[in-house]
Amino acid sequence: MMGPGIASYLVVSVVLFSIGAFGVLIRRSPLIVLLALEIMLNAGNLALLAFARHLGDGDGHVFALAVMVVAASEAVIGLGLIVAMSRLRVELDVDKLTTLRG
Amino acid sequence: MTEPLRHPDIDWAALAPVLTLLGTACFVLLVGVFLPRGVRRPFAAFFAAAGLVAAGIVSGILFALDDEATTLVRDSLARDRLAELGQIFVAGAGLLAVGVAYFESRGPRGDDPRVAEDDWRERVVEGYVLLLTAVAGMAFFVQANSLITLFLGLEWFSIALYVLCAINVHRIAALEAGLKYLIVGSFGSAILLFGSAFVYGGSGGLTFGEIAAGAADGERLFFAAGLAMILVGLAFKVSAAPFHMWTPDVYEGAPTPVTAFMSAATKIAALVLTLRLLLTAFPGEEELWTIAIAVIATISLAWGNIAALTQRSVKRLLAYSSVSHAGFLLMPIAAGNALGGRALLFYLVPYAALSIGSFAVVAARERELAADVTLDNLAGFGWERPFHAIAMAVFMFGFIGLPPAGLFLGKFYVFTAVYERGWTWLVIVGVVATVVSVAYYLAVVRAMYSGSAELRTAPAGGSPPRDWPLTTTVFGCLVLAVATLVVPDPLVDLARDSLAFLSFPF
Repeated sequence: MMGPGIASYLVVSVVLFSIGAFGVLIRRSPLIVLLALEIMLNAGNLALLAFARHLGDGDGHVFALAVMVVAASEAVIGLGLIVAMSRLRVELDVDKLTTLRG
Repeated sequence: MTEPLRHPDIDWAALAPVLTLLGTACFVLLVGVFLPRGVRRPFAAFFAAAGLVAAGIVSGILFALDDEATTLVRDSLARDRLAELGQIFVAGAGLLAVGVAYFESRGPRGDDPRVAEDDWRERVVEGYVLLLTAVAGMAFFVQANSLITLFLGLEWFSIALYVLCAINVHRIAALEAGLKYLIVGSFGSAILLFGSAFVYGGSGGLTFGEIAAGAADGERLFFAAGLAMILVGLAFKVSAAPFHMWTPDVYEGAPTPVTAFMSAATKIAALVLTLRLLLTAFPGEEELWTIAIAVIATISLAWGNIAALTQRSVKRLLAYSSVSHAGFLLMPIAAGNALGGRALLFYLVPYAALSIGSFAVVAARERELAADVTLDNLAGFGWERPFHAIAMAVFMFGFIGLPPAGLFLGKFYVFTAVYERGWTWLVIVGVVATVVSVAYYLAVVRAMYSGSAELRTAPAGGSPPRDWPLTTTVFGCLVLAVATLVVPDPLVDLARDSLAFLSFPF
């Protein structure tokens, strides 16, 4: 079976990682920031899977599965915090979260 | 004919410290729900403390038994003295935090007008369970011997800490701290994960041993890039500059007992693991990582100390002080010699005692005033609460590196290790940083003993609330800090024993 080589997968994963990192740094809504974090983690997953296929080794697949669980729990905490903030009527904009500053 | 299912051989003894902590956490969580409100706090605190002591004792027994390093669960976890010493340290930090947290309260109200009282009592069971879970995660993390367990352990204790920071859900500052920590912490973890993937691609293995073995015939570019990204990810957790931007905000917004715990335990876990990772997985890249870490240490020392000079909030000041101490703690790793390893393990103990102790004193003042502690409202503290103020003064002098605290010896060890490596410039950076730090640490001491004449005679606002668990903790930290100076030998021996199985590049 011939498919795209490992280089293509790695390029896609680097692009995804950059999109995610850029999103975390410039977006204002905490929801979008959480989304961008998930994109970064999944870029890592893609790279892991590409290498695992390339090396013919199962460990990378196990790692990727574990990362998915971690990503889900992180999203749960993040969304929980955002819900708690919206209950206190805090404007959801990471640039305006400046109660703590010195 | 089917092959019988092979079950992996698991060394339960090596997992016992982690399992003890997790078991206690489950027990406290399940039983705590059924108890009447009045007894929840003593119940949760007692069992949290008991679980931490038990885990520490189990790790201590394993430490005594294990002469040589072994691994378990297909090499993904290590069973050796370094891991066990790390577990004892984090369990000890957790135990001190239990006392600081006991009477946690932030005044009459949170930011939510519908809530009458913003009190830790409402969520005390969950708070202590999360503390136990975080310690369990750290105990697992210091045992990690593969990139999978490293990432899992890191996220395990981080997620528990994100929730702990925001546990006062009615305070905007706490929620903000939790969210900021979550975003920045996950950003660091994602970088670490991406780096792990590249190290995997470059070496063909995920356990530290395989990485070291596969380094020679792998793709060199992937390997070096992956190592750099893993270092960045760990630097976020150690709060080393320039990856420290979350530290002051999170330390200020989180409940002070949580800050006390984080400032000590996260550093212990992350630095012990950094040492293990670099020495066992990247022994061939020593030039790369020693220089990278020396640079990070220098930036942390410079940035942490300069930023601390301008702070008025005591928690923020201590946060920047922890950034600068991240620099001191990274220096012995950068030295990459056996003396450096011992210096790191020694330095961690007095540092943890000073850090938890000083945040505990801040917590005491905070409960008294029901407001954030600044250098201004610290005035008169020296006459109102003589014991706490004297302890705080000792902690501040200790942070500078002066006797009567063990950091005096710690700094001496660190500088010697770096000097032995031949990096006199780094020693000079460390000494200059120490001199600069005198200014802001002494500002705290001066603030406590300043104030008008009335402040000296009559305590403002009546007698302070009685808080024996906190006072006990402060006393414990004081004893620990002084003991490491008076009798340093046992700790030095422990550090030497726990590093015996490792080989250092320099």
